[in-house]
Amino acid sequence: MARIEDIPEPTRSAVLALAIAGFEAHPFVAGPPLASRRVAVVTSAALHRRGDAPFQPGSAEVRFLPAATPASDLVMSHVSINYDRSGWQRDINTIYPLDRLRALAAAGVIGAVADTHYSVMGSTDPATMAETADQIVGQLRQERSDAVLLSPV
Amino acid sequence: MIESRGVPTVTLGLVRAHLEATAPPRALFVPFVLGRPLGEPEDAAFQSRVLRHALGLLERVDGPVILEDFAVDAPSHRKRPGWAPGIVLPGGIADAPGVAREIAALMPHWLRAVARFGRSTVGITPVAPADMAGALAPYLAGGKVESPVAGLAPALALRFIADDLKAFYSEAAQEAGEQPGVGQVDRWFWSETLAGQFLVALRRAGMANPDNAIRAFATRFLVPVPYLPEGEPR
Repeated sequence: MARIEDIPEPTRSAVLALAIAGFEAHPFVAGPPLASRRVAVVTSAALHRRGDAPFQPGSAEVRFLPAATPASDLVMSHVSINYDRSGWQRDINTIYPLDRLRALAAAGVIGAVADTHYSVMGSTDPATMAETADQIVGQLRQERSDAVLLSPV
Repeated sequence: MIESRGVPTVTLGLVRAHLEATAPPRALFVPFVLGRPLGEPEDAAFQSRVLRHALGLLERVDGPVILEDFAVDAPSHRKRPGWAPGIVLPGGIADAPGVAREIAALMPHWLRAVARFGRSTVGITPVAPADMAGALAPYLAGGKVESPVAGLAPALALRFIADDLKAFYSEAAQEAGEQPGVGQVDRWFWSETLAGQFLVALRRAGMANPDNAIRAFATRFLVPVPYLPEGEPR
């Protein structure tokens, strides 16, 4: 079980029918060796702190997630009901792998884990998210983060 | 969008067709179920393999579009026919009092699950598990509903209390024993529990509600279509 043919209907058809806008430009930025990079995660799982307002469907906002936020403080208000949540319930690293990144940093595979990570609503049209991208990149630059892992659900 | 602002990125992708269409600078297609981009819960070695492969693409300079495949399925994609939650459901009628009794019966299991996993994902809204059935009951009446959560529209409160209810059951079901295969907890919830039946009834009632947003949320965002009983409107 794994690939597109394994996604149950009608989700499979809905996923394939999504109007995916390609990008006209293909930016490609090189960086220093991985072992000296500071890595940040951008998750589209609509994670946020318990007690904060849930993401609204279609929201283009970003929530900053300090790396020090305990996993027990995070909840998820993604709009879709058509994906597995049992894995995230057992282990937050299934979708938000900060513990794994910390281990890779300790092993010298990456340079460091960023102080701030980023959460957005995955189903939102990227065309509405230019300001959001500006906010994320502004914070990345402030922290000298120079690599981003984009993680979906 | 981040790369175009000057920061190198690598994307994990669960739908290969989307990666092909969007053509991000560096992407790793991972053949896992939706909701598990790192593949396997509680398997640090497996998750690290995925991450090392993805992060390794950051050192590539042969862009502008790099798309690779992670070739290994996650172990939990296999069915685990022996899995069953160690929960004796009290049975009864799938109304609010019946669901409240079922929640009370699950509470010790859920508390042990929270201790086992060190956290809970319940808590999108402040409505406690013991109060969830009562908070959702007014939506069954079909008329105008006051939101049970301050600051949330009635449709969103319905949706997020239902999410928390599902998470409460799912966590309680995983309190002990081996990890279930993908989908096994959901199948148990929708086929065995009063809460599952209750959410189907809420969906049916919500689809006739005068509030457009409640109608929309009830139709699409309460019960996954594969788990709708025969005869329920699609």
